[in-house]
Amino acid sequence: MTNYRISVFLHLFRLAFQQQLTYRAAILAGLATNFFFALLRVAVLVALYGDQPEVNGLTLQDSITFVAVSQALIAFLFLFGAYDLMNTVYTGSIGSDLLRPLHLYTFWMARGLGRSLVNLIFRGLLLIAGFALVYPIVVPTRLDQVLAVILALALGWLVNFGWQFLVNLSAFWTPDARGIGRIAFTISQFLSGFIMPLRLYPDWFANLCRLTPFPAVVNTPVEVYLGVLTGRDLWLALFNQIVWALLFALICALVLRAGVRRLVIQGG
Amino acid sequence: MLWNLSIYFRMLSFQLRSQMQFRTSFWLDLFSTGFGNLVYVFSAALVIQRFGSIAGWSLGEVAFLIGMIEVSFAVMDMLFSGFDYDYFAAVVREGRFDQVMLRPVGLTWQVLGSRFLLRRLGRVFEGLFVLAFAFTQLDLTWTVGKILYLPVVLASQVLMFGALFIIGSTITFWTLQSIEAINIFTYGGNELMSYPMQIYPSWMQRFFTYIIPFIFLNFYPALYILDKPDPLHFPPYAPFIAPMVALSFFAVALWFWRLGINHYQSSGT
Repeated sequence: MTNYRISVFLHLFRLAFQQQLTYRAAILAGLATNFFFALLRVAVLVALYGDQPEVNGLTLQDSITFVAVSQALIAFLFLFGAYDLMNTVYTGSIGSDLLRPLHLYTFWMARGLGRSLVNLIFRGLLLIAGFALVYPIVVPTRLDQVLAVILALALGWLVNFGWQFLVNLSAFWTPDARGIGRIAFTISQFLSGFIMPLRLYPDWFANLCRLTPFPAVVNTPVEVYLGVLTGRDLWLALFNQIVWALLFALICALVLRAGVRRLVIQGG
Repeated sequence: MLWNLSIYFRMLSFQLRSQMQFRTSFWLDLFSTGFGNLVYVFSAALVIQRFGSIAGWSLGEVAFLIGMIEVSFAVMDMLFSGFDYDYFAAVVREGRFDQVMLRPVGLTWQVLGSRFLLRRLGRVFEGLFVLAFAFTQLDLTWTVGKILYLPVVLASQVLMFGALFIIGSTITFWTLQSIEAINIFTYGGNELMSYPMQIYPSWMQRFFTYIIPFIFLNFYPALYILDKPDPLHFPPYAPFIAPMVALSFFAVALWFWRLGINHYQSSGT
């Protein structure tokens, strides 16, 4: 039975991967936009740094790399929001999704992972490679660091997936889930460190952000990439990501059960 | 013209009435539109506070740049919702533009009147709020010239962004889908003009001076209103050509739009 579920999961994953790959023109256009915005943000940071070599543990090169990597992660993490699940609640097609042999959470996870992986390779890696031609950016070279980056990225993806899933579930209770999503995803974007590296905010504000799950999505993976998190700090950061990923999975399962109980699907 | 205008306002009133039907949705959308953009400004404000200033510009001065461009972009985004190329691409793709062409009303007016998203007022409020914040931070000496010129600058920015929306929509006559790359000039232009121009690499400064002359629309007028010296040493009339630049850009956009309409072949859907 478990084997069967895994093969369904992998199948869904592969389908989503192939589907996403067909949108090549859109991928390139998105890449150009992300690249341009990265250039603008870097210009702002260069001007802010002036002739300070380092601010709160980040050199100018670190900050430039931060911008490039966080722009590279937009499509991988769907940072501007995901609204697919709530649409299935409104159209009623969630009915057939609930009959599938996978839990709804893992079903969407398989599809999301497939699309995200395409975006990571073709929008993420390409953007970083292109940016490396314009600015000298930090590249992790040691094997253990590369492995830590992959782990932190995967965990950050899971935390973000849980958060987006949860926000989408609000569609069970209100017809305005889209509006709620827009506000919720703005908050997570802001507190995740996507707009600016958390270390560049005043300390009181950065500490406030760190009480929420969102730094685990962008700030942690990028800091692991930069190598500014090492030793005990690195383990603590990864542990923090695991806790939030599990917590979101648990909350989503409970909320989903409550939502399905009140779901009415019109036949037709 | 009068006939077109009266139809246009009639179309707007339909829009407004239908959008106000779902009150909660409407207010939620209004709020989220303003909030989404305010967060970016707040983020910039926090970081500028940590560093003190950016390229010799104080937080208040940058807030002035941001406030101006947010107000004008938001007003444009509302007035030109019909030319929002993501939406317009769908109109072309689904063959709905055929209907527009069959009606005895000016095409441009119809497209303008076909969509008017009142919720984008949320961003106008956000921009006004940032502008008001800027004025509390700055100790400006107002002259009659500045007071008269400020609304002219805002109107020029609206026209400039509107021209880009029209160009973006016209391209979809050929491509049938919106090309995300135009976002570089619309949303990217909005972000670009939020900061003093001297922070950008020189190739970028040249591009946005000679190809798409954004530099004259927010940065130079701001130098005049804030009484700041020009770090780039442009001719002394540079702060005052915003309306000329915007009008000529708009004329080019309208010309391109007509060209697109003449080339339009229905998608046949």
